[in-house]
Amino acid sequence: MSEAAAVAMPAEARATWWQRVGPLLGLALLCVVLAIASPHFLTLDNLLNVLRQSAINAVMALGQLVVIITAGIDLSIGSIMGLTIVLLALMMRGGTPSFLACVLAVLAGVAIGLLNGLLLTRLKLPHPFISTLGTMNIARGAALLLASGVPISGLPAGFREVVAGSAFGIPSPVIVAGALYVVGHLFLTRTVWGRDLYAIGGNREAARLCGIPVDRRLNLAYALSGGAAGLAAVVMAARMNSGFPLAGSGAELDAIAAVIVGGASFFGGVGTAGGTLIGALIIGFLRNGLNLLDVSAYWQMIVIGAVIVAAVCIDVLRQRVGREA
Amino acid sequence: MATPGAGPLLEVRGISKRFGAHAALADVTVTLVAGEVHAVAGENGAGKSTLMAILSGGLRPDAGELLWEGRAVVLGDVRSAQALGISMVHQEPQLVGSLSVAENVGLGRLPVHGGPLRLVDRGRLRDEARRALALVRADLPPERRVETLGVAERQLVAIARALHFGARLIILDEPTSSLSMAETESLFLTLRALRERGTATFYISHRLEELRALADRVTVLRDGRVVTTVPLAQTSNDALILAMSGRELATVDAARDERPAGEVLLEVRGVGRRGRLHDVSLEVRAGEIVGLAGLVGAGRSRLLRTVFGADRADAGEVRVRAADGSWRRVGTLRDAVAAGVGLVPEDRRALGLVPVASVADNIGLVTPPGTRRFGLLRRGRLREFAARAVETLRIKARSLDAPVRTLSGGNQQKCVLGRWVGPDARVLLLDEPTRGVDVGAKAEIHRHLRELARRGLAILIASSELPELLALCDRIAVMRQGRLVSELPRAQATAPEVLRLATGTR
Repeated sequence: MSEAAAVAMPAEARATWWQRVGPLLGLALLCVVLAIASPHFLTLDNLLNVLRQSAINAVMALGQLVVIITAGIDLSIGSIMGLTIVLLALMMRGGTPSFLACVLAVLAGVAIGLLNGLLLTRLKLPHPFISTLGTMNIARGAALLLASGVPISGLPAGFREVVAGSAFGIPSPVIVAGALYVVGHLFLTRTVWGRDLYAIGGNREAARLCGIPVDRRLNLAYALSGGAAGLAAVVMAARMNSGFPLAGSGAELDAIAAVIVGGASFFGGVGTAGGTLIGALIIGFLRNGLNLLDVSAYWQMIVIGAVIVAAVCIDVLRQRVGREA
Repeated sequence: MATPGAGPLLEVRGISKRFGAHAALADVTVTLVAGEVHAVAGENGAGKSTLMAILSGGLRPDAGELLWEGRAVVLGDVRSAQALGISMVHQEPQLVGSLSVAENVGLGRLPVHGGPLRLVDRGRLRDEARRALALVRADLPPERRVETLGVAERQLVAIARALHFGARLIILDEPTSSLSMAETESLFLTLRALRERGTATFYISHRLEELRALADRVTVLRDGRVVTTVPLAQTSNDALILAMSGRELATVDAARDERPAGEVLLEVRGVGRRGRLHDVSLEVRAGEIVGLAGLVGAGRSRLLRTVFGADRADAGEVRVRAADGSWRRVGTLRDAVAAGVGLVPEDRRALGLVPVASVADNIGLVTPPGTRRFGLLRRGRLREFAARAVETLRIKARSLDAPVRTLSGGNQQKCVLGRWVGPDARVLLLDEPTRGVDVGAKAEIHRHLRELARRGLAILIASSELPELLALCDRIAVMRQGRLVSELPRAQATAPEVLRLATGTR
C-alpha cells in the first residue's frame, strides 16, 4: 500500500492513506490542543496516567476489533468482564494461585466468547447483536448471582502489586496492553486466520466459496473477543483490588467507540490494530483533557458522542471517495 | 372503468433502453388490445424483463412513447403504473409473508373507518379481499397468513391484489416456472376467466406449449429487438425457435481449435438434490470444455454449486482424479478446493469478490499450496502467486494492492478466475463467467479458457448465452427442470436444437 501511496496518490490510495493516517492525525491534533489548553497535560505523570486508564479499554477494544472486522459486534464483553472478574476474585479468595487464577479467568472469557460464536454459527441466530445481547444479560446475571451482588474484596497483595504496579517506570497495564497489541497486529496481518477474518467481513459468501471455514473462524473471533475481556478483567481486578460484579458495565460501548474512531468499518473487512489503539487513546486523552479543563462529566459525554459521530462521518466520506475512484 | 373496445389498450412505440454500452431494448413496438393474452418470448437476455419493467413503471425508457387508450403516458414509478391499471406479478410474488391474505390484497390502500384515527376497517377489507379472490377463482380464507401458502396460491393472491387495484393489464413473468402441472392448468383457467372479463395479459414464458394453450398472439424478442409479432395460430414451433435463436446453424468460431481430450478428470454420478437436481451424471475430460445450457431455473447453477460442494447433494457422487491418477471423492467445498476444483460463481460482486480487499488478497484468498506455514501467511509467495495470475490473465490493475472494486468488470472477473488457475488446478467450474463484462474482455476470457483447457484442465461452464457455449465448448449438456436431458457433441449442437431440448418442445 505504501508504494501506491508514494507514487501518484490516486483516489483509491488517498482513501487508504486517510484510513490509516486519519486517526493518528486526530490524536496528534487533540494532543496539541490539550497541551496548549492545559499546562498539566504534557507532564510525564499525566501521560502515564492516561495510558494506564486507557489500557483496559484498549484491551477490550482489540477483541471488539477482531469481531467488527468480521462485520459482527460483541455486546457481551462488558458483562464477560464482570463475570470473569468475579470468578477471578472467588478463585483467589479460595486459595488458587494468582497466576493460575488469571489464566483460568482469561479462559473463562474465551469460553463465553466461544458460546457467542456457537450461538451464531450453530444455532444460526440471525445477527450477533442478538446472541451477544443475550449472553450480555446472562453473564451479568451470573456475575451478580455468584457474588451475591456485592464486591469480593481482599485479593492477594502480590497479584495487585504485579498487575497494577509498574516495571521500568511503565505501568503494568500499559505493558500488558502493548504486548497484546503487538500480538494482535501480527495475528491480523500475518496469519491465515487473521486474513480470513477480513475476507469474511468483506464478503462472507465469497470467503466461503474460496474454501475458508467461515463458521470456525467466526467462533475464533468471538472466543478471542471474550478472552480479551477476560484479560481486561484481570487488570481491572488488580486496579480495583476487588471483584466487583458490575465491573465493565457499558465497557462494550467504549470499546466499540475506540474501534470505530480508530478507522474500522462497521460494515466489516476494514480495520487495524494500530488504528484501534489510537482510537482508544483518543478517547482516553479526550476524557483526561476534559477533566483537566474542568469540563463536567455531562459535557464529556456529549463531546465523546460527537467524536464518534464525526469519526463515522469520516468513514462514510472516505468510502464515497473510494467508490468514485 | 372505461368501455373496452375500439382502439388498442396499450401501444408501445419505439421504446429503447440502454444500460451503459449495452442496448437492452432497441426500437420496440408492440400493441395490446383489451382482453388479449399476449405472449412475450425470447432467449435469456433478449430484453423481455427490461420491457416489462418499463411497462410496469420500474424503469424509464430512454426513447419512445407509451400510449394508454390512445393517450401518451409517462410511467414514473410502479404506483403510477398501478394507478393507470398496469400491474406486474413477479415470478416470486412480492407479498408480505407475515400478513394475512386480505391485508396483502389491500396493502397500500387499506379501507379505513372515518374519524381521526383512521383505523383499518377489517370487515370491509375482508369483503374486498373475498371479492378479488373470487375473480381469480381462489378459495382462500382471507385471514390466512401468506407465508403458509404455496407459490401457486401466492401468485393468485398477487393477481387478486392487482385486480383489486383496478388492473386492466396484468404482466406475468414466467408464472409457471415453479408450478406443478395441475397448478399450471388451474392458473390458465383463471387467466382465461380474466380474459373473458376484458383484462389484458402480457405473459412471459419460454414454454411454447403453454403459449399455445393460452396466448392469442406472441411477440418474439431477440437482442432487444422485436423479431416478429404473430397470432399463435399462424406460426409453428420451429419458426418460433428460429425467431428466438436467430440462427439456423451453429456459428463456428474460427479460433476454436482441436484439443486432444485426455483422461476423465471430473466424474459426476447420479447427483441429486431434493426438488432441485435429479440424477445428473456427467464426465469432463482433461482439455475438454463442456457447456451447460438450459433456461433460467433449469438447475445449471445448482449443479455447479453441488459439484463444488457449496451445496450439499442428497444423492450421488462427485469424483476428481488427482495428479497421481487416483480418484478423490468430493463431498464438501474443502474437499473440492483440496482436489484442485475451482468455482467462478454466478454473481461476482455478491459471491466472488471481497470488494474492499486488494487484487493480491482477492486472488490469494484460496491460500494456494505453499503460501502458508503453520497458520502463518507467506506474504511473499502469496504475492508471487497473485502476480503470476495477473500476468497470465493480463489483469489490468494499477497495482497488486489496488482495491479490487476499482477494477473494471472484466478484470474483476479475471481476478476471480485467477484464484483457481494455479499450478495445482484440475477442474474449473464457471457460472456465467462473462455476464456484465464488455465484448473485448469477453473474448479475452474465452481465449484464456481455451488456453487453460489446452493446459489440461477440465472445464465445465454454464451460460445463458448460447452463442458463447457454441463457440467455446466441445460438448453441450442441456438441462431442463433439474435434469440433464441430453448431451450434444459439437457437431450436432445448433442453437435451435439446444433451445428445443431446453424448452422440451418437439
